[in-house]
Amino acid sequence: MADRYSFSLTTFSPSGKLVQIEYALNAVNQGVTALGIKATNGIVLATEKKSSSPLADPSSLSKISLITPNIGMVYSGMGPDYRVLVDRARKVSHTGYKRIYNEYPPTRILVQDVARVMQEATQSGGVRPYGVSLLIAGWDEGVLPEGAEEEEAKTEAEGDETTKKPTGKTGGTLKGGPMLYQVDPSGSYFPWKATAIGKSATTAKTFLEKRYTEGLELEDAIHIALLTLKETIEGEMNGETIEIGIVGPPADHLLGVEGVEGARGPRFRKLTPHEIEDYLTNL
Amino acid sequence: MSSPFSINGGACVAMVGKDCVAIACDLRLGLQSLTVSNNFPKVFQYGDVFLGLTGLATDVATVSDLFRYKVNMYRLREERGIAPKTFANLVSSSLYERRFGPYFVSPVVAGLDPKTGEPFICGFDSIGCIDFSKDFIVSGTATDQLFGMCESLWEPDLAPEDLFETISQALLNAVDRDALSGWGAHVYIIEKDKVTKRLLKGRQD
Amino acid sequence: MPGFDFSNYNRNAALHAQGVPLPKATSTGTTIVGCIFEGGVVIAADTRATSGPIVADKNCEKLHYISPNIWCAGAGTAADTEFTTALISSQLELHSLSTGRKPRVVTCMTLLKQHLFRYQGHIGAYLVVAGADSTGVHLFTVHAHGSTDKLPYVTMGSGSLAAMSVFETQWKAKMTQDEAVKLCSEAILAGIFNDLGSGSNVDVAVITPDKTTLKRNYIKPNERTQKLKSYKFARGTTAVLNEKIIRKEDLGNFVSVQEIHVAEPGDKMEVDV
Repeated sequence: MADRYSFSLTTFSPSGKLVQIEYALNAVNQGVTALGIKATNGIVLATEKKSSSPLADPSSLSKISLITPNIGMVYSGMGPDYRVLVDRARKVSHTGYKRIYNEYPPTRILVQDVARVMQEATQSGGVRPYGVSLLIAGWDEGVLPEGAEEEEAKTEAEGDETTKKPTGKTGGTLKGGPMLYQVDPSGSYFPWKATAIGKSATTAKTFLEKRYTEGLELEDAIHIALLTLKETIEGEMNGETIEIGIVGPPADHLLGVEGVEGARGPRFRKLTPHEIEDYLTNL
Repeated sequence: MSSPFSINGGACVAMVGKDCVAIACDLRLGLQSLTVSNNFPKVFQYGDVFLGLTGLATDVATVSDLFRYKVNMYRLREERGIAPKTFANLVSSSLYERRFGPYFVSPVVAGLDPKTGEPFICGFDSIGCIDFSKDFIVSGTATDQLFGMCESLWEPDLAPEDLFETISQALLNAVDRDALSGWGAHVYIIEKDKVTKRLLKGRQD
Repeated sequence: MPGFDFSNYNRNAALHAQGVPLPKATSTGTTIVGCIFEGGVVIAADTRATSGPIVADKNCEKLHYISPNIWCAGAGTAADTEFTTALISSQLELHSLSTGRKPRVVTCMTLLKQHLFRYQGHIGAYLVVAGADSTGVHLFTVHAHGSTDKLPYVTMGSGSLAAMSVFETQWKAKMTQDEAVKLCSEAILAGIFNDLGSGSNVDVAVITPDKTTLKRNYIKPNERTQKLKSYKFARGTTAVLNEKIIRKEDLGNFVSVQEIHVAEPGDKMEVDV
């Protein structure tokens, strides 16, 4: 490649901005809204599956993807860029983690790996930033001893006399539990209790702020996700036009094997159109 | 010339007890039949996991440093200590990476699972094949003797104090019948909230 | 593909040239078998791992997971069977995620043979590959040099002759699942008792198009009897020169933990001032 110029397309403007990243964010903000809500016992990811033509076959389109058995991902922005990132995320979770430690990466580690891929596109020669924002949801097993949480809470309660309130502090590689992250084209990432990205992100976030409560259960979170989507959606809401992915209890029926010691089913799975219809009728 | 595994000599053993594990090594460093040092420990502590390394002394030093680096990097990246089972897989994949140019070491890993408190021990060959064991693991030039000692002395559910006596006697009596190992021993007894390290008196011949 | 590190190779080759023997790796010794039945396939293995004449592991696992519907029995160099199957399992998982289809047994067999052929037999993995997929039920053997066979019943490893003698006298076409499990475990038992490289217990995996059932230690013909007397030493037997106790609670004397305030998220571009 020595015979070719390879300058970074993302360069600082005199005011200190990287306008290419801002343009990428503009692309994201024109994308279909996607949202995620973290519950105490799981996470829900939801988005609208919009087809440009009534002739399109919606069953071939998939916007929520499984990365590892316990981690799922959704996007707002450019579909083709997203599919590249899905492939990279799956690959790096094997080459950079599973083939070394014989276990899948914790959510934060995967998020950092994906964020690094996106950051590199803002500083490398001859490439443009990815035109997507991602929501990555996953469940971590944690390493703290079982029952340590209650002990910790007890000592905390003894320390200050304030009554124990739900802190909403769940997840993480130490304690284990659900984690929800947003990753932007710049490569920066944020942990959220609930958030939305894309065209109607602001509206959706205002709605979520009103609806979100600490100590939410997964079923309530799915309910809120559908209500939020209803606020922002343009077309009709049914099993074909909505996509939902959940991180919940291990789905051992999806394992396909019996008698393997310690084997657990995937926690992340996509809801079938039929399951979505059921939730919609109960809305 | 003799095998690279028996130039410097040395022995290591790990055992499972009730809610505890033990790992022990001798202290000899030799050059064939010449003893160079009687203070060359072969058990290394990385946070809550323990690694025993026997074999070629130059590789013992290299590999112990390599895994200290890898465990420290893991802790910085993940903001948590490494679990024994995860560490065992890291050791395994790191050794297998050098499948066609191995380090001449036979590692042993011991620790307690941080989540469940369950005892964990395992051993490896020099190219990373893991030997998961529910009772004991041996390695080094006194392997044959240690197998005999452990098969007869070990029993399930030993309390920490009894496990100490069992592993110490197994090691001391094994190395007394191996010219290349001995000269004192280190014994670690690992429990949920404490680690006891003891220096044993052994023959100096 | 795994990207081996050869940086010790020249040193080890130089030592070898001076007459230093090569290290002996753990070998599985092994009897492994596979057999197709009406509606599925069974594979089975013994559980002894050896290092020369020493029994290195009395209850190791030789049935390797590839995907829920494909399993592998491994003989030869233990580390090679372990890592080769893990690598191909990983590749197949990624392949199946990106195609959205369940992996096929032929795909697995082809990846294995291409990988092993590339290493010209230096990766000492001898495998029985079995599985059920959209094209039916399959059983293959893959040798370390990359050759493969497709047969209704197969044996491999040092106990393969003992095991094959059972198949050659008792095998019949269109067996039921129970008959196949019985035949495979008897073939393994023949290896356990007649081949010194094989021993301990029988592991069995039954693969049908809808699920795989692993029967770990399906038969345990060599259980150790409980010792009648204890060799437990009286506490204080061992002479101790020095003792150091580190307690978890004392660790606070050496490290201090501080909660760090995390900045509010949501900024478009993270610029720390």
